[in-house]
Amino acid sequence: MKAMILAAGKGTRVRPITHVLPKPMIPLVRKPVMEFLVEHLKAHGINKIMVNTSHLAPVIEEYFRDGDRFGVQMAYSFEGDLIGGQIEGKAIGSAGGMKKIQDFSGFFDETFVVLCGDALVDVDFAEVLRFHRERKSIATLVLRDVPPDDVSKYGVVQTDASGRIVRFQEKPARDQAVSSTINTGIYVFEPEIFQYIPSGVEFDIGGQLLPELVRNGQSIYGVTLPFAWLDIGSVPDYWEATSLLLRGKVAGFTMPGNEVRPGVHCGINVQIAWDRTHIEGPVYIGSSTSVGDGATIIGPTVIGSGCVIQPGAELRECILADYTRISSVAALEQKLIFGSKCIDPSGRYLDIEESQIRWLMDDARNKENLSESELLLFEEVKNLAVS
Amino acid sequence: MKLAQRKVGSNIVLEVLEARLGADKVEAFKDAVARHLAAGPVSIVLDLSKVEFIDSSGLGAILSILKRMPKGCELVLCATTDPVASMFKLTRLDRVFTMKKTVDEAVSALSL
Repeated sequence: MKAMILAAGKGTRVRPITHVLPKPMIPLVRKPVMEFLVEHLKAHGINKIMVNTSHLAPVIEEYFRDGDRFGVQMAYSFEGDLIGGQIEGKAIGSAGGMKKIQDFSGFFDETFVVLCGDALVDVDFAEVLRFHRERKSIATLVLRDVPPDDVSKYGVVQTDASGRIVRFQEKPARDQAVSSTINTGIYVFEPEIFQYIPSGVEFDIGGQLLPELVRNGQSIYGVTLPFAWLDIGSVPDYWEATSLLLRGKVAGFTMPGNEVRPGVHCGINVQIAWDRTHIEGPVYIGSSTSVGDGATIIGPTVIGSGCVIQPGAELRECILADYTRISSVAALEQKLIFGSKCIDPSGRYLDIEESQIRWLMDDARNKENLSESELLLFEEVKNLAVS
Repeated sequence: MKLAQRKVGSNIVLEVLEARLGADKVEAFKDAVARHLAAGPVSIVLDLSKVEFIDSSGLGAILSILKRMPKGCELVLCATTDPVASMFKLTRLDRVFTMKKTVDEAVSALSL
């Protein structure tokens, strides 16, 4: 069976992470969110996967390549241009992306699945397909009930008793919403839908295709069923998703590495004296990382590979990208260190260069000397604030 | 370097009227505060409510003021915005300084 993963978004709400990584490649603990999706599709016998790419396309394409390593077949539909040696994304919308593939080869010649590359889901596709076929639906949406406060982030739908969708609303205000049932961006489609998507223009599934189907008298359905859905559409969502995974709140997720202490998982080649550090799980420590004596690490925390946690450093509920150095005077609480930014769960961030805090945190491979004033401050803080 | 000052009892409240306290401002900032201290021993409340960005040199400047405080006088920081408070926490300087949420709280901390 065939599927399409939507991976051409710019990830505006996950900036600054998405300056470096496209959203589908953002790691949940260690694995890009899209890799979970590919594995999940494969487990359901869905093994021919098209991916539309745009923003930072090579990061996705070079990781998954032809899918062989993941036991599936994968290919890409790039939306953009190469200008002066630089990739410039020019995304054409979720439906536009599907149409481009269909115009190219007629790839979607049977019932197919579409899902967004930026949410971890474990939806039971067998059940969704059964529902879809029973109703002879042309388009079936996987729905989910969310707290009323959250409806304004999503496309809201209203269904009748048979599951037929009678109304759509794109990101309504809480008091305007007709329900708290939302479209998760997981779809099952029949190839007939392509009649309703114009070629060569930007076209969206939720905002344009679905209303167009309804306008043309097509019955489309929504199915609500329980499944894990970790959206990483924004920095707070990403924070929450990582925390849930580390705290073991997501069924089917297994922590990578070896559990070396209760709640503490480690990669290989880690340098640490367990009796001279204070570590409270859930914590993951990546391979080839060193943790100095007297360091404190409180979970939920993920430390990437090749990191250097200097003696006495304090980390509470942090996510550190690979090759992060945390100095002995730093005290980080609820910080995500990524791409030379120090990011709060809210998405607000400090630029490490601009704030001149390389003496607190840096790329572990950066051997550039600190300025005299930075060194001076480091020494002063060490004397004053580190007991 | 814009600083607003007002006297509260025998102490002074200095409000930093700059949005950015970085390398280009720190010398003028230190000089301005030093002038207040030169007039005689006085405790200072430093109101940082207008400062949205501080870098290492800004932190260093505030630290140097702390070290210059005359015996028996205090320096209390207050009303830090989130990005500034974050810098103090990251560097553990929040454990070195007395930091209060509001100017009023800072002033009462002095008079206690």
